[in-house]
Amino acid sequence: MSKFLISRRTLLGASAALLASTALPRSAFAQEAKKGGRLIVAADSEPRNLNPAIVASNGVFFIASKVIEPLAEASFDGENGLAPRLATKWEGSEDGLSATFTLREGVTWHDGKPFTSDDVAFSALNVWKPLQNLGRLVFANLESVDTPDPLTAIFRFSKPTPFQLIRNALPATTSVLPKHLYDGTDIAENPANAQLVGTGPFKFAEYKPGEYYLLKRNEAYWGEGEPNLDEILYRVLPDRAAAASALEAEEIHLAAFSAVPLADLKRIGAEDGIEVISKGYEGLTYQLVVEINHRTEQLANLKVRQAIAHAIDKKFVVDTIFLGYATASTGIVPQNAPEFYDAETEQYDFDVAKANALLDEAGYTRGADGNRFTLRLLPAPYFNETRQFGDYLRQALAEVGIDAQIANNDSAAHQKAVYTDHAFDLAVAPPVFRGDPAISTTILVRTATAEGVPFSNQGGYSNPALDTLIDDALVAVDEEERTALYNEVQELVAKDLPLINVAEWGFITVARTSVHNVSNNPRWAVSNWADTWIDG
Amino acid sequence: MNFVARFMRSPEGVIGAVVLIGLVLVALAAPLLFPRDPLAIVGQPMLEPFADWALPLGTDRLGRNVLAELVHGARASLLVGIAAALAAMAIGASVGTIAGFAGGFVDEALMRVVDAFQTVPGFLLALAFVSVIGASMPIVVLAIALGAWTGPARLARAEVLSIRERDYVDWARVIGMHPLEIAFREILPNALPPVLALSAVIVAGAILTEAALSFLGLGDPNIVTWGSMIAEGRAVLRSAPFLSIVPGIALVVTVLGVYLFGEGLAEALSRRRVRS
Repeated sequence: MSKFLISRRTLLGASAALLASTALPRSAFAQEAKKGGRLIVAADSEPRNLNPAIVASNGVFFIASKVIEPLAEASFDGENGLAPRLATKWEGSEDGLSATFTLREGVTWHDGKPFTSDDVAFSALNVWKPLQNLGRLVFANLESVDTPDPLTAIFRFSKPTPFQLIRNALPATTSVLPKHLYDGTDIAENPANAQLVGTGPFKFAEYKPGEYYLLKRNEAYWGEGEPNLDEILYRVLPDRAAAASALEAEEIHLAAFSAVPLADLKRIGAEDGIEVISKGYEGLTYQLVVEINHRTEQLANLKVRQAIAHAIDKKFVVDTIFLGYATASTGIVPQNAPEFYDAETEQYDFDVAKANALLDEAGYTRGADGNRFTLRLLPAPYFNETRQFGDYLRQALAEVGIDAQIANNDSAAHQKAVYTDHAFDLAVAPPVFRGDPAISTTILVRTATAEGVPFSNQGGYSNPALDTLIDDALVAVDEEERTALYNEVQELVAKDLPLINVAEWGFITVARTSVHNVSNNPRWAVSNWADTWIDG
Repeated sequence: MNFVARFMRSPEGVIGAVVLIGLVLVALAAPLLFPRDPLAIVGQPMLEPFADWALPLGTDRLGRNVLAELVHGARASLLVGIAAALAAMAIGASVGTIAGFAGGFVDEALMRVVDAFQTVPGFLLALAFVSVIGASMPIVVLAIALGAWTGPARLARAEVLSIRERDYVDWARVIGMHPLEIAFREILPNALPPVLALSAVIVAGAILTEAALSFLGLGDPNIVTWGSMIAEGRAVLRSAPFLSIVPGIALVVTVLGVYLFGEGLAEALSRRRVRS
C-alpha cells in the first residue's frame, strides 16, 4: 500500500513540469461553456412596445437586445470601448459630413432573409431619426444613407456631426430593423414591434402578459458556436421582494437592474450559490439630480442654490441611501466617463453653517418658527432611492431653515407636474448618462426649445453662454476641441448650478453562481447574452 | 343607574377605554415628548431596538427615531380615524334623517345614492379619490368618510322611520314647527344613540384605511403615519423586521382598543333601551 503511495508521489513529482504546462489549458477546459439549458431571469416591467429602434430604453433593451442587434456594442477592452456587432468597421470623415460602416457578411434575419445595407439605411432614415427618443438628437442632421454595395452604408449629414458622438451612440441608438417587414407600413403600429424579428442570437418565441417572455436559440446566428443557451425566460416579477426570494428558491437564475433591494444585498450575497455583481452597468450610469425651478423667486438667486448644494451631505446619501453602491457626484458628467470627465469643477462641501450664512446673505432670514421660506419638493417615484433621497433632502433643508413640502405622485403625474405644468420648486430626478453628454445630458441644462419634453430642462433655466458652448460642441468634429468644450460646460454648470448633481450609480445584478459570463461588458444587462451559459 | 356606571359593567369596554385614553394621552403629549420633527435624522441608521437608551426603539433606514415616529404616528392615526368617523356620521346621520323623515321620492332618491356608494368598496373609493385629488390630511379624511357614511345613513333612516310615527312628533307638527326643525331637533337626537354605537367600528375602519393608503404611498408624505412606517420598513423586512413590526403592533392595539370600547358602548346603550 505504502509502496503504491510512494510510487504515485514519485510519478507526480516526475510529471510536475508536464502538469504545470497543462494546468492553464486544463482549468480553461473546466470553464468551457456548456451548451444548452434555459436561463430564467426576473423582469420587473412589461413594455408594451418592444421595438428597441423606436424606444431606446433599458426596460425594452433588457429583452429586445437579445433579438435585435445594434451596429456595435459597448466593450471593456475594445477600441474606443466598442465591440463589433452588425458592423465590423466604422469610420468618420474629417469634415464630419459622412460616416462609413462596413457591415458583417453572412448575417440573416430570423425569417431567413439576408441582412443588407438597405436594412441599415431604412432603419436610420425611417426609424432612428424620426421616431427614436435618442436618435432624434444624434441623427438630427442625417440627410441620406448611400448603399454602394450590400455591405457598405455611408451616412451623409447636412451639418458636421462629430463621429465621436455617433460612435458613443452606436450601442444604444442603432438597433437595425428588417426593411422587408417594415417598409411601407405604419412603423409605430407594426405587429413586429411586439413579435420581434431581428438578427440576434435569440428568436422571440412567446409573450404571456403578466407571466413571461420566452426567447429561443437562433440556430443560424452569425456568431460561431453562439449562443450557448437554448432559451431565455423572463419571468414577470413586479414585486421587488419577490425577486430576492425567487432567487433563493432557485426559481430564477438572475435578477438584473437592482431588482433585489439594496438593503437585501448583504444578506443574499452571504448565501451559498448566489453572487452580487456591481459590474456591467458602466455604460448606463444613473445620476441623482436635484432639479431646480428657476421661476421660483428664491431659487433664481445663485446664493440660495449654493446654500442648497452645501446643505446636502453626499456621503450620507451614498452610505445610507445607496448603502455604498454609488459614488458622490462632482458634476454633470459622471466619473466613469473618463473621455469627458472634468475633475476641476467647483465643489460644494457639506457645510451647514456656510449654507445658513449664504441664505442670510441672500436676504432670507429665519422667521419666528425658524423657517426662511417654503418650497415644494417632488421626488421622482421611479426608484426607492429617489424617494428616500426626497425624504432626506427635506430634512437636510430643514437644517438650514428651508421648509420643503413633499408631494408624492405616480410616474405620469410626476412627469406632468415637473415637465409640463412646472408645478414644482425642487424635484429629484434620475437622468441617465449614455456615454456622451450630447445624447441625454446637455438637454438637462440647455435652454428649453419645447415645453413638456420629459427629462429635459423644464426648470426655466437659460444661460446664453452655456447654450453657445453646448451648440458648438454639437458640431465640433475635432475630438480634443469637443472634449474641451464639454469641460467648459461642466465648469459652468458647477459654478451656476442650474441643477445639483448629488450621486451617480449603476445597478446591481444578483445571479446564481451557475450562470457564467455575467457582466462582461459595460452594458451587459442590455447586450445580447450570446456567450452566457449555465451549469447543467 | 347612569350611563357611565352601565359602561363600567362591561369589562371589554373598560379595557378598550383604558387603551384609548392611554393612546390619546400619548398623542396629545407627542409634541412635549418629542418636540423635534419626528422625521428628523437623529442617529446612525438601522439601529436595533434597545441598543441605545436614547433611541429605545432604534432607528429606521435614514436614522430617524422610531419611538418619536410611533408617538407622532399615534396622533395622525387617531386624528384621521376620529375626524373621518365624525365626518362620516355627520353626513350619514343627516342624509338618513332627511330620507327617513321626508319619505316618498326624497327617500327613494337618497337611498339609491346610498346603494350606489355601497356597491363600491370603500377602500377603492378612497384610493381613487386620493390619487385624483392628491394626498393631504383633509383629503384623506374626506376620502375615508366618503366610503363610510352609508352605514350611519341606513341606521339613522331606520330609527327615524320608527320615531316619526310617535305622538310627540305629531304634537310638534300641530304646534307648527318647521319640518326640518322637527327632523333635526326632535327626531335626530333620539335616533342618534344606535348610530353612535356604530362610531367605534367606523373609527377602527378609518384607522386601517388610512394605514393602507399610507402603505401604498398615498398618505401625506410630510407627516408620519403608522402605515407609512410599515411601508418604509417593508423594503428591509428581511434584515430589520422590527421596523414593520413595531408600528404594526401599535396599529393592532389601537384598533383592538377602539373595537373593545365600541363593544362596551353598544352594550351600555342596549341596556338602557331594555330598561326604557
